[in-house]
Amino acid sequence: MRNAGSSPAAPAFLAATLRVAWKELATSFRDRQTTFYTLVLPIVLYPFLFWSMIQVSLFLEGRGEITEVAVGIAAPQPSIVPPGLGAGLEQPPGSSREGEDAAAEAARRELNRVHALPERAPLDEAGARAWVARGSASEAAEEPTIRPDAVVYVHEDEAGVRDGLRVLYDSTRTDSKIALSRITRRIPAYATELRASAADAADPGGGSLEPFVREPARNVAPQPAIGAYLLSTVLPVLFVLMTVMGAFFPAVDLTCGERERRTMETTLLLPIPRSAVHLGKILAVCAAALIATGLNLTALALSAEHLLRMLPAASKIEVQLPVRAMLQVAPLLLLFAFFVSSVLTGISSLARTFKEGQALLGPVQILFVLPGLAGSLPGVEITPFLASIPVVNVVLCFRNLLRGDLGLLEYAVAAASLAALSIAAIGMSLWLLSRESLHLSETGSAWTNLRGLLLSSKGSR
Amino acid sequence: MSAESGLSPRVGTASGAEPKLAPRLSIEAKGLRKVYVDPRRGRVEALCGLDLDCRAGEVYGLLGPNGAGKTTTLRVLATLLAPTSGTARVDGIDVAADPLEVRRRIGFLSGTTGLYPRLTPRETLTYFGRLHGIEAGELERRIDGLLDRFGMREYANARCEGLSTGQRQKVSIARAVLHDPPVLILDEPTTGLDVLASSAMIEFIDSRRSAGTCILFSTHVLSEAERLCDRIGVIFQGRLLAVGTLDELQQRTGKPWLADIFLELVRRAGGAADVG
Repeated sequence: MRNAGSSPAAPAFLAATLRVAWKELATSFRDRQTTFYTLVLPIVLYPFLFWSMIQVSLFLEGRGEITEVAVGIAAPQPSIVPPGLGAGLEQPPGSSREGEDAAAEAARRELNRVHALPERAPLDEAGARAWVARGSASEAAEEPTIRPDAVVYVHEDEAGVRDGLRVLYDSTRTDSKIALSRITRRIPAYATELRASAADAADPGGGSLEPFVREPARNVAPQPAIGAYLLSTVLPVLFVLMTVMGAFFPAVDLTCGERERRTMETTLLLPIPRSAVHLGKILAVCAAALIATGLNLTALALSAEHLLRMLPAASKIEVQLPVRAMLQVAPLLLLFAFFVSSVLTGISSLARTFKEGQALLGPVQILFVLPGLAGSLPGVEITPFLASIPVVNVVLCFRNLLRGDLGLLEYAVAAASLAALSIAAIGMSLWLLSRESLHLSETGSAWTNLRGLLLSSKGSR
Repeated sequence: MSAESGLSPRVGTASGAEPKLAPRLSIEAKGLRKVYVDPRRGRVEALCGLDLDCRAGEVYGLLGPNGAGKTTTLRVLATLLAPTSGTARVDGIDVAADPLEVRRRIGFLSGTTGLYPRLTPRETLTYFGRLHGIEAGELERRIDGLLDRFGMREYANARCEGLSTGQRQKVSIARAVLHDPPVLILDEPTTGLDVLASSAMIEFIDSRRSAGTCILFSTHVLSEAERLCDRIGVIFQGRLLAVGTLDELQQRTGKPWLADIFLELVRRAGGAADVG
């Protein structure tokens, strides 16, 4: 075919493209499935997810705290049991907290309680294991005893001297695991107490046993930088995930969905260049992906901020999106969204039905997500080479821009790479969408269509 | 059709009267071939050098069995498919050289030109009208005219997915004639329609003929062709076997009924068994 004799001027082409894009976007969001996955789910999902996480966490923590566990102490002979071991295990770790009143301290002490059972010695380790497992030290239990949730077994060496402590617990019982956790935290404090007593008894004076006081470490990073660092670990990879997920349904809906609805022929009859029609579809998919991503990130940020405020340790962290970094990264994100939308739209055009389109795009999604995850791995640093690899470059550039340390060269390479790929993907997508063997195909699977496509060379304008 | 309907008459021929054929050819195809590769069937020659001409104000019926090449012919003329070789002109425009201009000058309707289910009839018409470059005020006037002409006011703002088959067909017709095209290409326009909707479609075709529009349509329903067509072309295995008025075809075959004429032509072409 020769060039069209009535090709419209660029403004008319652009106007037609935008009109198609607007119509496709509007009709996409009139589809319940697309609206649900693109708009409703992000708004509802993250707050619900975080709320559920907090509730479950509080429930489990609370349930654990109010549970009193019974801990047994056993040894091959009574003499090797360290003095005050039972009391040490019953002692909650930590002293009074700053600003904590007596009532609060008393209430705190009522939580995480450990009840030390009377020592059983002599008792070998097999007997101690049976005590935890069955509640009696032998098959023929001669006396009813309280079944311990865990047992601290004191070892002796060949000379009959105390050798070490071993905690015996049952991983299939929740209370036993709680007991293990409490014992593990309390034994070091108890050991420190023993060491202090011994040191006091043998102190030669002059502070030689304690030459300096070890003070807590202090983080010198400014709070906004900590917030930005936190964002940089999650935001880039989430952006990739959400863009791909956001483009998924519109891409399927506007290509094979249209074929399934039998409106493809109607669309091809539009009195505008086919390239404007197809470009309009890609634009609509891209816009839907960006809307979905924006909503996802906003909902996520608000939910995360709420969550952070609820956590005492994180309450001082300022998590704010750095506006300058976001403006700098915006062109890259836009190019990436174009790239993703073009690829998904082009590939889904091979499918004949909505269902087939979904099945086809599933593996394609993974092709985007895996490099994104690889780019977010700790220790992966941006280089000009990595900046040229699609998806990885978006994640790394986004991450480094949030941290404020991205070089101009890497930025330029990533932008050039994404621009080239976007143009190539749009070209590929337009080529696929314009194949007459595809757009009017009513039979055959995606693979049959692909085969027919390779055998045929006809395009349409 | 009156100006009230949003469509203007072209040639003043009266329905039912002897057709007064305009000299200008609205559709002209010469040696049209369409070959494509089907992944299952291999190389398929859907059209083998088809010649066809249709004039302004004429209703031309394309008759043929399934797989004869009717839909392919109409799709090539509507620029949905590109011809492998040969030439086709619609309203003087070469379909291969300027498909965009051809699309501006035709109204196309077939069983597979569905309506956008999530748009309302009014939105559908507005969308097509704007893309046809119709100015907003004029477009509004035309849409109102068509809504009245086809009795669509009641459901003009309801989504197309909720409309009945007959209502959808009316919207499709309105969509096809909104830009007042000089050529209408209709691929089996009454297939799947009930008696009322079919009757409305036949009435519509008749009215467009009166307005001077060139109408090329394919059909299986021979009674429709007998009633409506100024000329009939019988297509079989990608070739036109015969073209003429019903009288001419009767004389040529010696058969009184179109069904017999059709079978006789196919038999002479050596394909009776295929049609069977």
